[in-house]
Amino acid sequence: MKNEKLQFKIKNFKTLPSTNQKAKEIAKEKLEAWLIIVAEEQTAGYGRKQASWYSPLGGLYFSVVLPKSNIEDLQTLTILAAFIVAKVIKANFALEPLIKLPNDILLNDKKVCGILTENVIGKDVRFSVMGIGLNTNIKEFPKELQETATSLKIELGKQVNNLEILKQIVEGLNDQLKGISE
Amino acid sequence: MKLKLRIKGKEYQVEILEERNEVKIKIGDKEFSFEKEEKEEIAIAQVSFPKRNFSKKEIKAPIAGIISEILVKEGDFIKKEQKVLLLSSMKMENEIVSDFEGRIKEILVKKNQEVKEGDTLIIF
Repeated sequence: MKNEKLQFKIKNFKTLPSTNQKAKEIAKEKLEAWLIIVAEEQTAGYGRKQASWYSPLGGLYFSVVLPKSNIEDLQTLTILAAFIVAKVIKANFALEPLIKLPNDILLNDKKVCGILTENVIGKDVRFSVMGIGLNTNIKEFPKELQETATSLKIELGKQVNNLEILKQIVEGLNDQLKGISE
Repeated sequence: MKLKLRIKGKEYQVEILEERNEVKIKIGDKEFSFEKEEKEEIAIAQVSFPKRNFSKKEIKAPIAGIISEILVKEGDFIKKEQKVLLLSSMKMENEIVSDFEGRIKEILVKKNQEVKEGDTLIIF
């Protein structure tokens, strides 16, 4: 997968505890910006304050290793990521996403996407990863989540193409980061 | 205490006499006396200030936020790059790793405490 500006490298995993965790492990060994870690399911997906993120097969779970940036730009990027995901949802489907800044996207008042940026900092920012969990093809949620979570499949009544959505989000992120880091 | 000093080929007799509050140094027929305590204090003040600046090992908050987790204890020996605490900030989670290796002398923050940028968190 590529656009004019960069080559995305994607590492696919069947199952991972967490894509952010894996991305951090890999970046600690060797920092490679724009490496994307994708998992078909997460067994220990999490959001802010270690809140768990329901991540069964069908959803889109990925983390992007970000180029070294200053901390303010990373916050901006997190907010922009929410806009990008909302834009991709709106552009591809007849849905009205609502952005709950800076980390969540809602559809009909229910969470459809969560974003978690994690930075590893010593004297300066060593590296950052941004994890995005998008409930795409999740058929149904467990009872305790039904009031608060939804998926594109539930809202649309049909399957969506995870890879195409992934590609559009990452390209959008890259465009935005170029703009704020220059 | 008597010493012989040779400086640039010339020999000097040096005698150091320590009395209660005074140190006398006789070099040849010249005598220098120093008040002991005062001199020591000045000496410490002069050498310790820059020294402390060079060797001070501490971890400071890189940004303002809330300490969400402390992963080490006082007395722990920490390796370079070891994760020491988590700082929630600007809706991001930040893993703070140590730039030093050493034993932790003091942890100045508690879980859920708010910190400002530059606050000292851990002293080695």
